[in-house]
Amino acid sequence: MIIAEHLQKTYSVKVGKGLKTEKQQIRAVKDISLQIEKGNIVGLLGINGAGKTTTIKMLTTLLAPTAGIYTMDSIDAIKYPKEVKKRINMIAGGERMIYWRLTAFENLWYFGQLYNIPNNILKKRIEELFDLVGLKGKENVPVETFSKGMKQRLQIARGLVNDPEYLFLDEPTIGLDAVVSKELRQHVKYLAKQQNKGILLTSHYMGEIEELCDYIYLLNDGILIEKGTVKELANKTFHRKNYLLNIYNTTNDILDTLVTILKSIDPSVIIRQENDGVHINSKDSMSLELSRICTVKGWYIKELYEQEPCLEDTILQISKEV
Amino acid sequence: MDLQILIGILKKNLLTQYRAYPMSFFVGNILTGLYTVLGAWFMYKLLFEGRLSSDFFELTKTNDYMGYVIVGSLTYLFVVRTCLNVSRSLITELREGTLEALMLAPFKRVEYFLGNMLVQTMTTTMEIVISLFIAIPFGLNLSNINLSGFIVSFFIALYAFFGVSMILGCIMLYTRDTYISQNTLFAFLFLVSGITFPTKYLPEWLNICANFIPITEGVILIRNTALLGMGIEDLLYSYMKVFVLSTIYIIVGFGVMKRCEEAALEKING
Repeated sequence: MIIAEHLQKTYSVKVGKGLKTEKQQIRAVKDISLQIEKGNIVGLLGINGAGKTTTIKMLTTLLAPTAGIYTMDSIDAIKYPKEVKKRINMIAGGERMIYWRLTAFENLWYFGQLYNIPNNILKKRIEELFDLVGLKGKENVPVETFSKGMKQRLQIARGLVNDPEYLFLDEPTIGLDAVVSKELRQHVKYLAKQQNKGILLTSHYMGEIEELCDYIYLLNDGILIEKGTVKELANKTFHRKNYLLNIYNTTNDILDTLVTILKSIDPSVIIRQENDGVHINSKDSMSLELSRICTVKGWYIKELYEQEPCLEDTILQISKEV
Repeated sequence: MDLQILIGILKKNLLTQYRAYPMSFFVGNILTGLYTVLGAWFMYKLLFEGRLSSDFFELTKTNDYMGYVIVGSLTYLFVVRTCLNVSRSLITELREGTLEALMLAPFKRVEYFLGNMLVQTMTTTMEIVISLFIAIPFGLNLSNINLSGFIVSFFIALYAFFGVSMILGCIMLYTRDTYISQNTLFAFLFLVSGITFPTKYLPEWLNICANFIPITEGVILIRNTALLGMGIEDLLYSYMKVFVLSTIYIIVGFGVMKRCEEAALEKING
């Protein structure tokens, strides 16, 4: 398991002031603690400049934290970064992190050599990876002739060449078409759930995070401001409940009766009639009451469900509050 | 030292160099050697009319100025190529967007730089061999060469070039500049390392500087074995001096490089 506690990172930056330059300290990450368990997909969210990239760089040992504790499977990752490097890999969005002048095969072979993978194992793994990312038949084609999507597929293969125990995905689907993005999401799920890899994912696509992540950390200005599952985050953010009730042959009388009964239960309730049914916003859970009222009154329910806020709504709401 | 990693880096660099730089680059490098020799030949024959100052022999133990310049120039070509390939390796990775992928892998830096060094040694040796044949009509005479001494001197000199290239690599990666830093250093090395004239002709303070650059003694070692026929036993002190000086450069280079790598990684999206 990855455990990071109170990670901090301060950069020294030279700022030009006329002819002179002045050193300034920028605290990119002020205090971030997180955990990644094997078999889980953890999301790291935040608006631009929140400290996501710096956090990933510290977790992948590319940058040493200024302060904090970071362990991976009980190994002190700050003291022994080489041991950590053997267990991890990173896939970033875009077309970089691969050599354009080499062929697809040569790229994977070269990175395999850097990870010291025995050549017989490496050859078999490369074949499997080409199958997996759909680049079979393109092994000996120079990367510079690849399309953006193909380069990204190769980058995914590169990130898996050392069969890492933990995988860091930094905006992996940026610029990819819908089909490749879907394939990648399916594969990320497979890696976590079937191959027991711990995965950290950052993405600007909320749908992606919502679909994949078991747990989410939300950063703002270098600080962890919220954490939890999608549902937990929504519950923490939205304290009121939303229901949609659709009754067959709804009349004004039915609506007036419903308002009177619901107001007697919760005076703060907000009810509005729309094309798809009656939208009810209440302080407490009301699903039982609503079904009981309909049964007692003999109204036939077409639809009744609690409307869960989507992750995007939750993040937008949290952003407004901070 | 892991041979698998070293071979991987060697193969990758050879493939990249072969695809990135066609034959014209190879020809261009040979021509650089030729132009340097040609320049010295014109200066010596036309400007100075074949006359050397009286102390030239005292300082160099030879009156063969053309041989002196040709060996110096070809050795300098080696220095330049080592610096171009080894020093620029990480900043090239940074520019091509592969530095992060590289740094994620658990390899030792020494394997990476040695791999780069090996590639350049192989390609430059081929260029130098061809340049040697071109240089013969200009008066290069290698009849006195001490082969065993030359081979040892060659490897000791390579070690010296590697040390200097590590320091230049740190400067390049930290400043993210290749052109100003490399060209300034190349001009400085050409002037002070005894490529076309003995360093004793330099002002005293510059002569002291030259003594602290391992390339200066490296060039002397190559000349002494190739032109004067000196053997290993005659050059033990020089070997020791170059080895100690280069080791200091390498230790400092590797130490500072770690910090420069971090600074470079901080700057990516930072």
